[in-house]
Amino acid sequence: MKTWKKFAHVNARTIEDAAAVLREGNASIIAGGTDILGAMRFEILPEYPGVLVNLKSIPGLDYIKEEGGMLKIGALTRLEDIAKSDIVRKKYTALAEAAHRTASPHIREMGTIGGNICQLTRCWYFRNPDNRFNCLRKGGRKCYAITGENRYHSIFGAVKGCMAVNPSDTAPALVALNAKIKTNKRLIEAEKFWDMVKPGSTVLEPDELVTEIQVPLPAKGVKSSFIKFAIRSSIDFPVVNCASMIGKGEARICLNAVHNRPYRPENAEELIRGKSINEKSADVAGAAAVTKARALPGDRNKWKIQIARTMVKRSILACA
Amino acid sequence: MPEKKENKAEEKKKKGFGNLSRREFLKDAGLVIGGTTVGSIAFAAEAEPREPGTEGSIENAPDRMQSQETDRIELTVNGGKYSFRVEPNWSLRQLLRDEIGLTSPKDWCGGLGACGSCTVIMNGRPVLSCLTLAVECDGAVIETAEGIAKTKHPIIDAYIKWNAFQCGYCTPGFVTSAKALLDRNPSPTEADVRDALGGNLCRCGTYQQHPKAVLEAADIMKRS
Repeated sequence: MKTWKKFAHVNARTIEDAAAVLREGNASIIAGGTDILGAMRFEILPEYPGVLVNLKSIPGLDYIKEEGGMLKIGALTRLEDIAKSDIVRKKYTALAEAAHRTASPHIREMGTIGGNICQLTRCWYFRNPDNRFNCLRKGGRKCYAITGENRYHSIFGAVKGCMAVNPSDTAPALVALNAKIKTNKRLIEAEKFWDMVKPGSTVLEPDELVTEIQVPLPAKGVKSSFIKFAIRSSIDFPVVNCASMIGKGEARICLNAVHNRPYRPENAEELIRGKSINEKSADVAGAAAVTKARALPGDRNKWKIQIARTMVKRSILACA
Repeated sequence: MPEKKENKAEEKKKKGFGNLSRREFLKDAGLVIGGTTVGSIAFAAEAEPREPGTEGSIENAPDRMQSQETDRIELTVNGGKYSFRVEPNWSLRQLLRDEIGLTSPKDWCGGLGACGSCTVIMNGRPVLSCLTLAVECDGAVIETAEGIAKTKHPIIDAYIKWNAFQCGYCTPGFVTSAKALLDRNPSPTEADVRDALGGNLCRCGTYQQHPKAVLEAADIMKRS
């Protein structure tokens, strides 16, 4: 097994502690560790972190509670705890199901919700060991996926030239549920949280940390659902996943793993908003969701368009 | 004619290994290999697990682990207390195998978190020891497959009865994941078992047997 190159390790006592270390540079944060430790073991980061700041030592960031008409989840809450929580399962179904379908049971026991939404892309050019491909996300000039092996890449075009997809399962659920993400500096709408930055995938500043996820309570009669297609259902990253929240004249649908950011097919939302949900209307909305989708040259990722269409249809039907 | 065949076979034997039995040959070969490569291979195969209460010292550790920057951690493994000075870049798996001598956390996927064969139970949660930093285990209570076997947990007999393994490499990971499930949920359904063992891979394809074994273990525990 490849061992990690040397780094220093600090236990943070407060969020401010951790932010202060991040401000000094050449540092990275570790919570569940399932993403950062893999990235460090295979040396895929443009700059190997000299310091790891442990967030698990910060007390009071592991909670699930309902307060002021919304669900509040601490950033250090493990995905398995969210998946098993009765409150989340009953009222915020899409989020519970998304947490439950993330990775494998062991990774859910280790991984936190904060880490899940901030994880790095799984693009295999980006993830190739020892920085073999100096791609756009690493400060290079080229996205290798456009002409290369791209069967899992974006079907909705590039963001700043990068064709990688966001692999998070909880991200589309949070967007569909209209959640907000609280950091040590501001409150960000889930929809605006993701972007293509180098090498990360969020709009967070270098010394900004997620502290809490806030999900407004869906109105009575509004249902939410999450559905995922993966090669192996018990362990894999999604090929395409989709979350929906529909009812009471409201419709929010969000696809993920199809674009650099979670993708809201707004024309599909319009078609289903306020309408009755049945096989036919869901099918029409599914078809509308992928009208803007385009396969990359060579059509290797064309199969994802069909899957995205079906995922939208099924997640709408699950809200009936 | 049969005589001739026998003679030929005997000749072959003499040309090859002489009078050495296979076992003796392997022993000798092992000595040569052990002499020329790092001692850690011999250590891993022969050494008994370290007794609890003894202190792991960095002076005895292989060269690659020598460093000035170390942290002291105390942890409970299989009921025994241990104290170690560890480097930040040690994984929990490395600590359990190389320092304590517990070889049940296996390495298969190379530290990707994709196979589950290094699973240990840490503070009641089944976790991947290859993706856990040893320095973050201060105060942790850890249980490995060795500890489960030592307590004569019914799951061991159930696994043997249902032949839930072939080569056995992935078995410690399955057993620890299953034990963590039974600790929390004493009467799981088959779906629960399949769900809890979903992160453990088995290349021999023994998947069908695991739910049977775990459900039987749950039954035995309820009856006793």
